[in-house]
Amino acid sequence: MAAEAYGLLAEFGSPEALLKAAREARGAGYRRLDAFTPFPVEGLSLALRLARPGVSWIGLIGGFAGAAVALLMQVYVNYDYPLDVGGRPVYAISAFAVVTFELTILFSALSMIAAMLWQNGLPRLNHPVFAGRRFHLASKDRYFLCVQSDDQAFDPQQTAAFLRRSGALSVELIPP
Amino acid sequence: MTRRVPPDSNSSQGPGLRQWSGIEELSGDPAFQAWVDAEYPAAAEFTPTARREFLKLMGASFALAGLTGCEKSPFVAALPYVDQPQDVSIGVPKNYATAVVLDGYAQPVIATTYSGRPTKLEGNPDHPVTQGRSDIFMQAAVLGLYDPDRAQGPTRRGEPVSWNDVADHIGALRAEWGRTQGEGLRLLTGPVTSPTLSRQLDALLKQFPKARIHTHEPVADGGRRNLTAAAYGQPLDVDYQLESCAVVVSFDDDLLGPGPDQVRRARSWSSARRRDGNGPGLRLHMAESVPSITGAMAGDRLVTEASRMPSLAQALASKAGVTGAAMPDLTPVEREWIDRAAAACRSAQGRALIVANAFGDVATASWVARTNEALAASSLLRFTTPLQSVANAGALADLVAEVTAGQVETLVVVDTNPVYSASGSLNFREGMQKIRSSLHLGLQRDETGELCEWQLPLTHALESWGDARAIDGTATIIQPVISPFYDVRTVHQVVAMMSGQLDPAAEAIVRETWRSRLPGDFETAWRQSLRDGFVRDTAAEAVLVRPDPAEIVPPFADDGLDIVFRPDPTVWDGQFANIGWLQELPKPLTTLTWGNVIAVSPALAKRIDVANGDHVKVTIRERSTVGPAWIAPGQADNTVALYLGYGRMRAGRVGDGIGYDAYAIRPVDQPWLTKGTLHKVGTAEVLAVTQLHHRMDGFDFVREVSVEHPALQPPPAQPSLYPARASSKNAWGMVIDLDSCIGCNACVVACTAENNVPVVGKDQVKIGREMHWLRIARYFTGEIEAPRSFFQPVPCMHCEDAPCEMGCPVDATTHSPEGVNQMVYNRCIGTRTCSSYCPYKVRRFNFYDYRNAPDSPEQAAHNPDVTLRSRGVMEKCTYCTQRIEAAHVAADKENRPLREGDVVTACQSACPTRAIVFGDINDPDSEVSRLRRDGRHYALLEEQGTRPRTTYLARWNDKRGDRQG
Amino acid sequence: MTDRSADVLPVNQSLGGVTEQLAGIPLHFPARRRWLATMVFACALLLLLMVSIAALFTRGVGIWGINIPVNWAFAIHNYVWWLGIGHAGTLISAFLLLTGSEWRNSLNRFAETMTLFAVICAGIYPVLHLGRPWYLYWMFPYPATMGVWPQFRSPLEWDIWAVLTYLTVSLAFWYTGLIPDLAAARDRARSRGWQIFFGITALGWRGSAAHWSRWSQAYRLTAGLAVPLVVSVHSEVSLLFAAGQIPGWHSTIFPPYFVLGAAFSGFAVVSIIAIALRFWFGLENLVTDEHLDLLGKVLLATGLMTAYGYVFEVFDALYSGGPHEIQTLIDRIAGAYAWTYWGALVFNFIPLQALWWRRVRRCGSALLLISASVVVGMWLERYMILVTSLYRDFLVSSWGEFTPTFWDWSTYFGTIGLFLVPFLLAIRFIPMISIFETKELLHEEQEERHGG
Repeated sequence: MAAEAYGLLAEFGSPEALLKAAREARGAGYRRLDAFTPFPVEGLSLALRLARPGVSWIGLIGGFAGAAVALLMQVYVNYDYPLDVGGRPVYAISAFAVVTFELTILFSALSMIAAMLWQNGLPRLNHPVFAGRRFHLASKDRYFLCVQSDDQAFDPQQTAAFLRRSGALSVELIPP
Repeated sequence: MTRRVPPDSNSSQGPGLRQWSGIEELSGDPAFQAWVDAEYPAAAEFTPTARREFLKLMGASFALAGLTGCEKSPFVAALPYVDQPQDVSIGVPKNYATAVVLDGYAQPVIATTYSGRPTKLEGNPDHPVTQGRSDIFMQAAVLGLYDPDRAQGPTRRGEPVSWNDVADHIGALRAEWGRTQGEGLRLLTGPVTSPTLSRQLDALLKQFPKARIHTHEPVADGGRRNLTAAAYGQPLDVDYQLESCAVVVSFDDDLLGPGPDQVRRARSWSSARRRDGNGPGLRLHMAESVPSITGAMAGDRLVTEASRMPSLAQALASKAGVTGAAMPDLTPVEREWIDRAAAACRSAQGRALIVANAFGDVATASWVARTNEALAASSLLRFTTPLQSVANAGALADLVAEVTAGQVETLVVVDTNPVYSASGSLNFREGMQKIRSSLHLGLQRDETGELCEWQLPLTHALESWGDARAIDGTATIIQPVISPFYDVRTVHQVVAMMSGQLDPAAEAIVRETWRSRLPGDFETAWRQSLRDGFVRDTAAEAVLVRPDPAEIVPPFADDGLDIVFRPDPTVWDGQFANIGWLQELPKPLTTLTWGNVIAVSPALAKRIDVANGDHVKVTIRERSTVGPAWIAPGQADNTVALYLGYGRMRAGRVGDGIGYDAYAIRPVDQPWLTKGTLHKVGTAEVLAVTQLHHRMDGFDFVREVSVEHPALQPPPAQPSLYPARASSKNAWGMVIDLDSCIGCNACVVACTAENNVPVVGKDQVKIGREMHWLRIARYFTGEIEAPRSFFQPVPCMHCEDAPCEMGCPVDATTHSPEGVNQMVYNRCIGTRTCSSYCPYKVRRFNFYDYRNAPDSPEQAAHNPDVTLRSRGVMEKCTYCTQRIEAAHVAADKENRPLREGDVVTACQSACPTRAIVFGDINDPDSEVSRLRRDGRHYALLEEQGTRPRTTYLARWNDKRGDRQG
Repeated sequence: MTDRSADVLPVNQSLGGVTEQLAGIPLHFPARRRWLATMVFACALLLLLMVSIAALFTRGVGIWGINIPVNWAFAIHNYVWWLGIGHAGTLISAFLLLTGSEWRNSLNRFAETMTLFAVICAGIYPVLHLGRPWYLYWMFPYPATMGVWPQFRSPLEWDIWAVLTYLTVSLAFWYTGLIPDLAAARDRARSRGWQIFFGITALGWRGSAAHWSRWSQAYRLTAGLAVPLVVSVHSEVSLLFAAGQIPGWHSTIFPPYFVLGAAFSGFAVVSIIAIALRFWFGLENLVTDEHLDLLGKVLLATGLMTAYGYVFEVFDALYSGGPHEIQTLIDRIAGAYAWTYWGALVFNFIPLQALWWRRVRRCGSALLLISASVVVGMWLERYMILVTSLYRDFLVSSWGEFTPTFWDWSTYFGTIGLFLVPFLLAIRFIPMISIFETKELLHEEQEERHGG
């Protein structure tokens, strides 16, 4: 029966309403929840019990990788073809610092943004929730809570009723 | 260096010796035609003119092939050797001893040729006069050979003709002369020292007794001979024995200045200066009106009018106790100077020499002669009978008189250019119209050649058989180092034609001259002389003379400005106007290029309110000319200096229409010093100078030591963050002795020739893009009315810790193990960071593509061992790395280490004073190491910590030394 | 300087209204005529650039006025100038984001956009100024047949890496911040074309809570990296000069001096654009006088810091006592190019003083003029730093002069076209003010109203 729909999409008029509904849903035992808001709403991920994102760690790794690549590159080219340049040392670490720093930042930043997109499953062209008639308001001034159909406690009628009780302006069944 | 004689020179009948006949003739031959068409199908498509050019070039190369094995014309598209000739190994230069000619005097050279192309001239080290040293004219002569504007075939009224036509015409003329005994035949020659030419002319005069010969010497040293004639009663050449002088007092005599005698004098000057290590061996007191490089070297310089010289000379004479020398009235400054000079002369005890300007006046010369007598300085003067003497030759003025009188039927102008360089008042150009038949013999169809009916192109010295005498009389037999690549003849061949020979062989004429003169077996002596580059024991005999006691008439005294004429320091009398190297060569004291100026004193400039470049009008006896003014620091207040050699109209694409023509207003009777007026015109121009600022501004770029303090402060040890690097076997370094450098520029031209340094032209120089790898910085100190002047050659310093190298992002400039700061042209991407970082700004950048057009003859002058730099590439002094590598190869072949003297840079070998010393600083016994230990040794911008390999020796300040003496 | 108590945005406007207004700018472009006129002008400049570059590549850098000793002039000078401008965008959005100064939210989008195109303008100069630009790739490490590699001790080599890094990171940062707004525009789009355009560029963003949390982390961390990046890049640019020994260049003050100067000129350009945009698109409700006030303060602050750089440079020369340093100082204030020095002083700092008054700060036209004067002043400063140091360095005998040619100028003005054309296109096609961040700010303010 879960195959019939992706889930139920409930519309709320303000972030506060959404937060309240989200907490109630958690309380009611719903686990497969998601929310859609026009801007990041404080406390929402807490209310939904979302895991802390791991983007920062990837950024850290990227940074180290960048530094390593830069240093190794500069050392290698001077090892491969050592030349006396103005009496400076062949391995002039102080001179190599700049490029090393730049590449550290480059790798770190790019890896984080890539990770963010990848973990978010972006880019993707379509998604079931886009089928929602009023979903386009999610990028304007409406706040949506979605109970997905693969939730144990999911039942089209009761869940819908529950959502209306918790103050949804509209509730809509999203086809898969 | 292996010295050679041309492969054919021993077989006078060799096929090579037959000068090929006219190209038109050659190309007329149907067989040849067919052959060419078969060989070069492209040629068949050529337009008639293009075809003629092509055939001419081809003809030249065929003739060359006939002459010297398989050597090809320098600038036809490369034709590979069909058969490798025995005596040619590609890329290995051959050296020939010969000479080029300046004002008739031989300048002995060793010509370096690659596959038959002379590319570089060095002084001949064995020659008694030059001892291997050179000057700018000698260095630049090779470019004259490849001058694209040379006359390439005989012409009549501008139309090409063949040498057969010429022969026919001369035949006709001879018939006429035969009838009239040469009545109405006049020859006009330039300065001549060639025994062969003299012999031929004498012979010609014997044939046609009524013919007359005149000589025209716009500069030469005609002046000197007139002065000696007045002072000693007979015309003489004089050689100063500077080596043995302790004091020299010069009355406006630029004895170190450019000219035929520069090398000899610079050499003896510097050796005298170095004589005793603990101080200047020779002190120079100079009174001068126009700043000269000699004045720049003078320890005690008096600035005064040229017209004051007689009085000053007289004053010194009376100090020296010359009979009849009353003390004239002098200004306080002049008197002090005379006192110091007299004191110095006394203390020198017979080793003091007084010299007078070759372009000066009779009175000064006479007083000087007597003063030398009184100072017992006669041993310091060596007189010889004049070398430049064509038997009883008339002057140009006489000729003009005869021409105007209509007594001249035929005029033969031999290698001189009177239409340009005769005094304007003679109206030579107008006179020419009166002459029925005129022939011009010369390298170029110049102003005179254009006006003459016939223009007969001559060979360049480097493609001639001929001879000439060096300044001391030592004769050089001039041998060709390349066969003529145009349809030209040697002057001797043409004169021989006039005396009846048909198609005479060039070498035979010269041989004939020397057959009687060379001692011992002729062939041996001949070959020996060719090999040596000079004929031994042919120096002129010294003659003993006493001053002529005749009454000394003080020269004219009338008011007005002193107008002084001087030959141009780089294009001389104008004959070098089409030589790009010399046009772009900064003139010693002005750093002016591409033009001449009217030099005025700062005071005069203030009076008539002119700045550098403002046009002023000089008027002398109703004749006037307009030129840009130049404020010359240290020029006498009422003296105006005009420089000859510019304003040419038929010099060629390089030299036409630059500068003003000073000959136009030059009086016949007072060619060097006259009176005139100066006015501001109101217009102005931008002058192409290479150094904008002249004051040293209190910096210590040029340092001085004195007898009291003969050593400089040793610099504090330079700490370095970096570990000292182990240097390889050889570590190259250069030391430049600023006490010997006279700023003559010989090194700059030598560098230009050796390293294919491009000529960029006036407009590029104006915006600061000259390309010289070596510049001679010129500084003034003191007040502008009487400054002290300094020269400082600045090549690349080859810093051990080079800022430039650190800046290059692509490793295009790095350090060689031998400590040379290398420039890798083909790696350079042109960021110009190296130049921005260079504290000495010795790097040069190809802002455009400055290379010669691929089809231009100058291409042939390039040194094949040095890369041509393309657009967008940085370049700079390499310490002549090609020579270093060649030396390495030679040493490796002989399996020995490099020895002192194996590597001689171009600038070093050119320097007439040996101011530049190059060598291995790892070798403690090398001269360069010795000089680096000298007390006068210092590095430029030491405090920058760049550790330069090029360093300097401080100049002796001999002023205070004098006061003691 | 950022106080969250005072409202930056008027609260009497609805989130929806803001969304429609901002997303509407690309979708139903208001100021078509003005935009077209400006675009034509910009294209003309761009064409001029093309012609100049064609001339440059066919004939060589000789067409410029450069020579020995002044062999760096307009190219490097404008490079530094553009790059300096390009630094404000990232500084504003990243730095102010980190300090939680939400007032930035109305400015950061076009500030970042401005950065991108300014950096591009700067970026072409190092290529153009090469003697042999077709060998540019030799500056990158690739296994060359010659066996040689780039020379990593050279400030120019550092420069390539720094600027390319800066360009890439700025681009990524800009786009990351843009995604939610592209989504918003997508959802507002009516016509098919716009739907596809925004549909693709929005990458399928749907504002899910998980998205937002990851996005915020990534965005903030990138901002955290961008700030030191900006500082490092312009410090590195200053090393192009400071690494040489030329008097007037060889100074430790240079890195901070350059960075502050960069921020100074950048904020000036940001103010200019902010004022222009709000005038064009009637955004007074979003780019408020409060914003101008804050911009004015920042401008004043950075300006004074730059002034400190000037003072210290003089002190440096005098304190060092090096004759060449002092010579250069004298040449700057009294030499042939003294007009650049005094010009820089006057244009940079005299009008700036007006910003001490609140009324001036809040007056658009006044701030516009002052900013314009700063931009000119900074241009003169770069000219001064390059030319007055090079034209007279150590050896008197190598002193020269520099006169820009037509091509120097045409190339410079051309790059202004190169900046304007893409910037105008950006205005046309993407939301120039961050929609969601504005809404976030607005919502917070409204909350406080209700709370307080």
